[in-house]
Amino acid sequence: MGALFPSGDKTLDQPEETAILRARDFWTSLVLIVLSLFFLWETTSIPLFGENRAGVSGGDWYNSAALVPFGLFGGLFLLAIGLLVISIRAGGAARAMSSVGLGWDGSEALRFGTIGMTIAAYVIGLVPRVDFIICSGLLITALIYGYRGGHAQRMILTAVVVGVAGLYAFVANLPQSDWKLHDDDWITLILWIALTAFIFVRHPRDRMSRVIPVIALVAPAILVCAMAFGFRQNVPNRGGLFFKTIEYHYYVSLKPLWSQK
Amino acid sequence: MDFVISQLAGFGGAMASLVVDPLTYVYLITSVFLGITFGALPGLTATLAVTILTGFFGNKIPLDYSLIALLGAYVGAIYGGSYPSILLNIPGTAASAATAMDGYPLAKAGRGGEALGMTTTASFIGTIIGTFALLIFVWVLLLISKNIASPEKALLALFGILLSGTLMSEDLVIKGWIAGIIGLAMAMVGMDPLLSEPRYTFGWSYMLSGFQVVPVLMGAFAIPQIIEGMRHIEAGKVLSLQGRIVPNFATVRRYLPTIGRSGVIGTGVGALPGVGEDVAGWVSYGVGKTVSKEGDQFGKGSLEGLLSSETANNACIGGALIPLLVLGIPGSPPAAALMGAFKINNVIPGPTIDPAIILRVVAILVLASLTMFIMGLFTAKIFIKILRIPQTVFLPVVMVLTTIGSFSVGGGINDLYLMLGVGFVAYFMNLMRYPIAPLVIGVILGSLFDETLRRSLFLSDGDLSVFVSRPGAAILLALNIALILSQLPITKRGLAKLKRKRA
Repeated sequence: MGALFPSGDKTLDQPEETAILRARDFWTSLVLIVLSLFFLWETTSIPLFGENRAGVSGGDWYNSAALVPFGLFGGLFLLAIGLLVISIRAGGAARAMSSVGLGWDGSEALRFGTIGMTIAAYVIGLVPRVDFIICSGLLITALIYGYRGGHAQRMILTAVVVGVAGLYAFVANLPQSDWKLHDDDWITLILWIALTAFIFVRHPRDRMSRVIPVIALVAPAILVCAMAFGFRQNVPNRGGLFFKTIEYHYYVSLKPLWSQK
Repeated sequence: MDFVISQLAGFGGAMASLVVDPLTYVYLITSVFLGITFGALPGLTATLAVTILTGFFGNKIPLDYSLIALLGAYVGAIYGGSYPSILLNIPGTAASAATAMDGYPLAKAGRGGEALGMTTTASFIGTIIGTFALLIFVWVLLLISKNIASPEKALLALFGILLSGTLMSEDLVIKGWIAGIIGLAMAMVGMDPLLSEPRYTFGWSYMLSGFQVVPVLMGAFAIPQIIEGMRHIEAGKVLSLQGRIVPNFATVRRYLPTIGRSGVIGTGVGALPGVGEDVAGWVSYGVGKTVSKEGDQFGKGSLEGLLSSETANNACIGGALIPLLVLGIPGSPPAAALMGAFKINNVIPGPTIDPAIILRVVAILVLASLTMFIMGLFTAKIFIKILRIPQTVFLPVVMVLTTIGSFSVGGGINDLYLMLGVGFVAYFMNLMRYPIAPLVIGVILGSLFDETLRRSLFLSDGDLSVFVSRPGAAILLALNIALILSQLPITKRGLAKLKRKRA
């Protein structure tokens, strides 16, 4: 069973890479087994053999809403067992606890950790609560500066800056009723300006220092305006510090210029 | 013959209505340009181009214009991947991986202009071949598909997911199947389509409507790409373009048989459910290497090798749209994103699709390929300049694009959380060599599979023979079983034994 389900024509580049993959497969198969068992158990709460719902019969087994999920999670469980067997036979279990099994070196873990933190802070903390242009400007500045050149210190610095802004917005204005408040907009704006100034001071001759603020300001501004006024779609946080002003002037100062009949 | 003529007449009408509309050109030029740019930038893919534009154009403009934008980007992106393949030796998209094998040696030998010109021409002809196949075969299949009922639909959806899992796996096939099942399982969330029974909602009202397609697409394709691409890479040296780009007619004529063969292969591979342009490129390259007189030169700078892959990956577009439009099963990952756009416009691809939409799709593909051809020949220098933009500069902007696109389709913050969650899971799946395309196809086809499987059993009062008593269903069931059995080691060992005995 060692060669169970090998891929058709494509082969992996290195035996070492295969060893890492099999060790990771050991862990993922365990996770998949647990998940499939959990969801199989969860599926038992969906009536399989018909049930009275408000006096209406829920149908037979072949019409049950649980039928396909049972099949899917049962199939997933069997495939996960298959994957576990493959990984054990290929020595994955033996290497699972070693550094090979974990497969990530420190620098890669740092890179993923900081990007993950930056993106999570942006999506969870900032986008719902902070003006879209400001939070996207901070994100663009942080990502370009942080990951250009592959310097670990820059990655940590920028992730911390976005993380602080996101955490503040999340903690200070957690409920939806507080999302319109502007304190988090100001904090994020200050952090964005401070980070931009820091980049200028540290790298005064680098062309990128001048390019980053332009991209960080222009790209989100164009996008949000195109979406809101061009496509007339909802955009995140319409009451944000910058967008509120733009929207006011669009409808009060600009639009009357071409919509008057 | 009458049938072909009536088809061509219908196509002519659709084409005329597009050509006289000035807005067509606005969307067409913008989307093809954006598509080529996405394709040309290593780290951005054709699927991502269609996905992101779905977020922007999917349901915000009339369907006709939305289709122009999405198909233009699709055609442009598949072609655009050839730029970095030829000039940087880095495939811009997975579809152009085989292109680099011969494109880069040609550019190094001072034939970059010729390579780019011939690639542009071959991509154009390839798209036209695929489009012509779409025009003809889609109608033949539509006639057949009138006999397709719930049992066939359920088995076809399963076959698409299994086939995609089998062919898209880089490591073990079992991983492709696991990805497909995870996608199907994700589609089970929310109210079930027949009895409105809530499933896996965990008391969260947002989950009652199930996972929205666009945030899942954005998460699955954009977030892993952004996380993976945000690393320092020493910019490769873009080779200077030597020689004229506009190709010599005699050279085009000389390679016409290769282009024709590769176009047919690309269309055929594209028509297989769930198999994308990258597979089409490699299959055509492999066939070209076997049958060509200059097969030994493949990989060393052979124009024929270059054209084999580049024609096929563009021809795959038309092929991939055949199962999408006829059966509602995407033929490739970008077609899956396109299906997302159809869904949010309340258009259900499949046997009940409005035939006028198919004719319009064909006309748009012809116009898009023509626009790509003209742009490729006369504005190539702009795209070569774009190649120099580092990933760490454009990927943060893509993150912002993804966020606003994902938000605007559903208009809710929860969609962003879904996008983020799917994105992180997809990143780890990529890391462990699980293909993402079967997952996405599973999400898209999940409710169809669930509904049609249960409806089949409902109509037969739980009699399982419904899956063998109908000829179409029996064939599809046999195909599903054969596909699964073909991957089992016991079958493989048996086949190998049989082969040895025969030898």
